[in-house]
Amino acid sequence: MNISEKYNKVLLVDDDLDLLEQNKVLLESRGFTVITAESGKQGWETFKKELPDAAILDLIMEEHDSGFILSHRIKTHEHGKNIPVFILTSATYETGFKFSVSTPEEKEWIKCDDLLNKPIVTDEILTKLENFSK
Amino acid sequence: MITDKPRVLIVDDEKGLRLGTKRLLENEDYIVETAENGTEGIIKGTEKEFDLAIIDLKMPDIEGLEVLKEIKKHRPHTICFIATAFASYDTAIEATRLGAYSYIPKPFSPEELLFQLEKGYKQRILLLETENLKREREEQLVELSHEKSRLSAIINTINNGVLVINKTGELVYFNNSAVRLFNLHDVEMGDLILEKLPNEVSELFKTLINESGEKSYSIQLEIKPNRELIVEAFFERITGEDGDLRGVVIAIRNISEFKKIELVRNQFVSMVAHELKTPISAVLGYLRIILDETVNITEEKEEEYQARSIIRLEGLLTLVNDLLDISRMELGTKQREIVELDLKEVINNTLVFLEFDLKKKGIDVNKDFDNGDLLINADNDEITRLFTNLLSNAIKYNKENGLLNIIIDKSKNYIKTQIIDSGIGLKPEEKDKLFQQFFRAKNSKTRGISGTGLGLSIVKQIVETYDGKIEVESEFGKGTTFNIYLPINK
Repeated sequence: MNISEKYNKVLLVDDDLDLLEQNKVLLESRGFTVITAESGKQGWETFKKELPDAAILDLIMEEHDSGFILSHRIKTHEHGKNIPVFILTSATYETGFKFSVSTPEEKEWIKCDDLLNKPIVTDEILTKLENFSK
Repeated sequence: MITDKPRVLIVDDEKGLRLGTKRLLENEDYIVETAENGTEGIIKGTEKEFDLAIIDLKMPDIEGLEVLKEIKKHRPHTICFIATAFASYDTAIEATRLGAYSYIPKPFSPEELLFQLEKGYKQRILLLETENLKREREEQLVELSHEKSRLSAIINTINNGVLVINKTGELVYFNNSAVRLFNLHDVEMGDLILEKLPNEVSELFKTLINESGEKSYSIQLEIKPNRELIVEAFFERITGEDGDLRGVVIAIRNISEFKKIELVRNQFVSMVAHELKTPISAVLGYLRIILDETVNITEEKEEEYQARSIIRLEGLLTLVNDLLDISRMELGTKQREIVELDLKEVINNTLVFLEFDLKKKGIDVNKDFDNGDLLINADNDEITRLFTNLLSNAIKYNKENGLLNIIIDKSKNYIKTQIIDSGIGLKPEEKDKLFQQFFRAKNSKTRGISGTGLGLSIVKQIVETYDGKIEVESEFGKGTTFNIYLPINK
């Protein structure tokens, strides 16, 4: 099955409306169905309503850790615990503050499946979804 | 003083002897003065310094020993001889005790006298030289102790720490600042200090004494966590005249403030970079989509993306201009033309400039201006900028069809301007950060309101430039009031 069919409904959460629009268009061009939200709070409401197949969350929104909080909520949710959740960030590049989710300890803290660097590259998302589906 | 010719005082009541001796000595190049009795002898012998004095023991008025005593009391370096025909062991001892150099029995031969005087004169010179040396030495010691205490006082009061450690690791010298900066406790001269010092310092000390060469080192250390105390330590070798290493001197400087400034600067740069990057990324993203042949978008969408790109680029331009303004203000290179300004006029002009935004949002403006002159001395551009930033915020963060009240009146030496909006207001935690660079209140109500996050920090800087004051009162959901105080022009 094609990856965009397997994870067809993607929830995109970003407070930069331009980036939200761009990522939506790019994912749609690859066959995904995209639903959007503009804040962590709105993202959580949308998630519960839509129960998407995957979620891509910006890290810094209304709070500096909005993305972490939302991913934690999703990954501890009955439906959400099984879906891929990626956090979108350029924090490492900009602040030099390094974090990753490659070890189990880190995954205890940051309950997402992978990190995505800004600006978003559609192929990278596809690869990460492929990896997750294995 | 030692003169070339020895000066002699002869004290004798016997005129013949006095004059005879005088003549004899003058022939031998002595300068001679005489006194004919004890009283005169005391006067002459004490009022000026003679090299030598010959004092007759038996005189009708005052005893020779008394004269000797007085002269020695006032002129201790005058070499005194007691001359007498009545020599006795006791008087000799008494004379010596009182400070006589020697004893000349009467009658004496010229040779005998000259021999004695010569000996005495040599003694006198020796005495004076010793005295001089002693005085010089004392002066040097005083000087040295002054110098030493001065130096140690200087070293002790300087803010930089100084530690001197010999090559076996013993503390040879330290000052108060060193104790403070290295956070040391109970240190004394001679302590084996290495284990009390921060690890990095001891290690570097060992490196320094174990390697030859003249290389000096410095390290930066965080002594107290959270940047509370950061020091830089400079290591310098001390070598003897033979070139052998004697020890190491460590100079310690507190660089906490410098580090704090560095941190603030780095944070500012990284914030600026972030703020610049965001609109650039947005524009870049739109352009990529437009040019990407694999992404199909409608013509309408394409136009919308171009329009959004322009908005983001305009925002970027405003940001860059704000940054330039801030930098000019901070560097003090801003050119100001200070003129008399009527605040009523400035605010009215600003409102005209903002008329479009006011109408678009349906904001109702109420003005309550004091009737008198509301004049300040300032640069027109800056004050216009100040009120443009505040009034445009009062519009941007206002409700649809909201209110904007502007009150200007005099308050002591200031003109007080109140800008009151009926907008979204501020949470207490937002209020505290309001004037920080790049701070923007982020909540559902501020979504979609554009801004650089620099407007109010510029406002604050302008107000402070003119020795004014700005206050903010706000209630979340109800509105915000800014009170601006600018010094009145009398």
